Amino acid sequence: MSASRFTGGVELATGIGLRSPHYRHILSEKPTVDWFEIISENYMVEGGRPLEVLDMILEQYRVVQHGVGLYPGNCDGIDRDHLKRLKRLVKRTKTPWISDHLCWGSIDGSMSHDLLPIPFTFEAARKTAANLRMVQDFLEVPLAMENVSSYGEFNDSEMTEWEFLAEVCELADVGILLDVNNIYVSSINNVFEPLDYVNFVPPERVAQIHIAGHSRYERFIVDTHDHPVVDPVWKLYERAIERCGPVATLLEWDGRIPSFDEVWTEARKSETWRESALAKKGTDAAA
Amino acid sequence: MRPLEQTQREFFAALQMPLRGRSRNSTDLAPSVEGHSPEFLAKAESLMKAGSNLLPAEQLELYHRQYWFRLLDSIAEDFPTLRKIAGEGTFWALMEAYVCACPSASFTLRHLGRRLADFTAEWEEIDATRRRWFAALARLEYAHMEIFEAAEWEAVPPEQLASVELGLQPHVVLLELPVPADLCMDWDKFMPEAEALTHLAVWRNESGNSAQCRIDPIEFVLLSRLRQGSSLAALFAEPTAREPSPEEVAGWFANWQNRRWIALAPTAETENFPVVSQRSGGDIDWSRVDKMGSQARAMED
Repeated sequence: MSASRFTGGVELATGIGLRSPHYRHILSEKPTVDWFEIISENYMVEGGRPLEVLDMILEQYRVVQHGVGLYPGNCDGIDRDHLKRLKRLVKRTKTPWISDHLCWGSIDGSMSHDLLPIPFTFEAARKTAANLRMVQDFLEVPLAMENVSSYGEFNDSEMTEWEFLAEVCELADVGILLDVNNIYVSSINNVFEPLDYVNFVPPERVAQIHIAGHSRYERFIVDTHDHPVVDPVWKLYERAIERCGPVATLLEWDGRIPSFDEVWTEARKSETWRESALAKKGTDAAA
Repeated sequence: MRPLEQTQREFFAALQMPLRGRSRNSTDLAPSVEGHSPEFLAKAESLMKAGSNLLPAEQLELYHRQYWFRLLDSIAEDFPTLRKIAGEGTFWALMEAYVCACPSASFTLRHLGRRLADFTAEWEEIDATRRRWFAALARLEYAHMEIFEAAEWEAVPPEQLASVELGLQPHVVLLELPVPADLCMDWDKFMPEAEALTHLAVWRNESGNSAQCRIDPIEFVLLSRLRQGSSLAALFAEPTAREPSPEEVAGWFANWQNRRWIALAPTAETENFPVVSQRSGGDIDWSRVDKMGSQARAMED
């Protein structure tokens, strides 16, 4: 696995998202899993069931925090109370890095609870990067930004999504959580070549990769995380590993969640793709 | 090119517009055959770039419907008894009006219903009797949500009761309701009984489940004083509307202690790392932990 300043020097292999239908199995059977990813907002509370189960998981497993409510693209800045709650959770989990989405989601205190798309403008890049610098300084833990699935493009955009991702992460000096399923979803909805995206991302910044399934409709794809990973996404994953090295990989499965074993088996398919990607990389280097 | 702030304001305003057409018909809201409003279509044309796959209005609608789906799914999950008592038509009309008037103001959807009781008390689409009952029931069901994630402080040992500053466990919610809304839990439909001021406590019990019970009005006053922080002596320093008997007080204290309601407020250090009681993982219902996620809801094409 690759360790970098964007992972706090920690090397992790295959993980899965920690979801409530699996708690009982995990606590009783203690399956061998390298790490779990938690949705921070489900545990940014004062007590009760969420912290109770989290503490039990933390006794046995490495946990990495992944957020859905930071909204670094918000034009009116970052919510300070949110950051304080997040930092308190960071102290509890000792997460080696923390990730959230390159998106916006609220205005004047009203929350969408969605990962809304940012127009890819230079103004948005500067403002988002300034927000992220402040967040990283406050949290004192490496931060990685995830590319979101998108369902449209703004008239005002001045660059491609992959250029925007790279621009923001360079300006803010943060890592990237590369979601190859999101790239695929957006490539169908917004009609672009997904390999162009993967080939452009600065590999040294990629701290983690997400894989997931989605729902395909007649003319678009929705990022539902309720199916196995499809072959085109595995191929993007293989290419991403070829470029970035053996990055920590996590499977998200959030809808119609099957048994723990089924989710874990799906996640472990990544290991085969990873090996083939690293073999290709080795062959290319030798040539 | 418009400034980022303007883009975000216009986009958010579009999300908050009422659902129409097929998107609306994918929810439990009263169906409508109306298509998008001219205002929605204008915003879509102004904001979104026509693609070879999706038109601007289709792009914006994919976000619009997810906004509504997510909020409606969440709030229906949090108020099951209100839904049953109000009936489907009234419940969903109330939820639509509420979400329009009171957008979420918290990082978590668990708090989406925070203002529902106050909103319902003023909602003029139902008669005054229903307003009182439904608002009280909303307050009661939200209390069960509050205690799910509230802090737990160290319980005060009996031998320290007279010597330390006492507090009320944060996961105990005290309610003074104008009607006995707790009765609704056993009803299949709305069948109001005599209205009477009703005092309830809702709390998290030792197994981590929510519990509720009626409490005496004087007990309510004493527990409210405990919530503010009080020594044992100060708890009884001010007179109450009725002087409780020593036997009553002894019985209340025994209950409060058995339920671990009397607690020590945390120090600044422990406040940053909340106490969590470890319980067995046997039959615990964990399902409400996952309120937030990054996934979209599956939908009709």
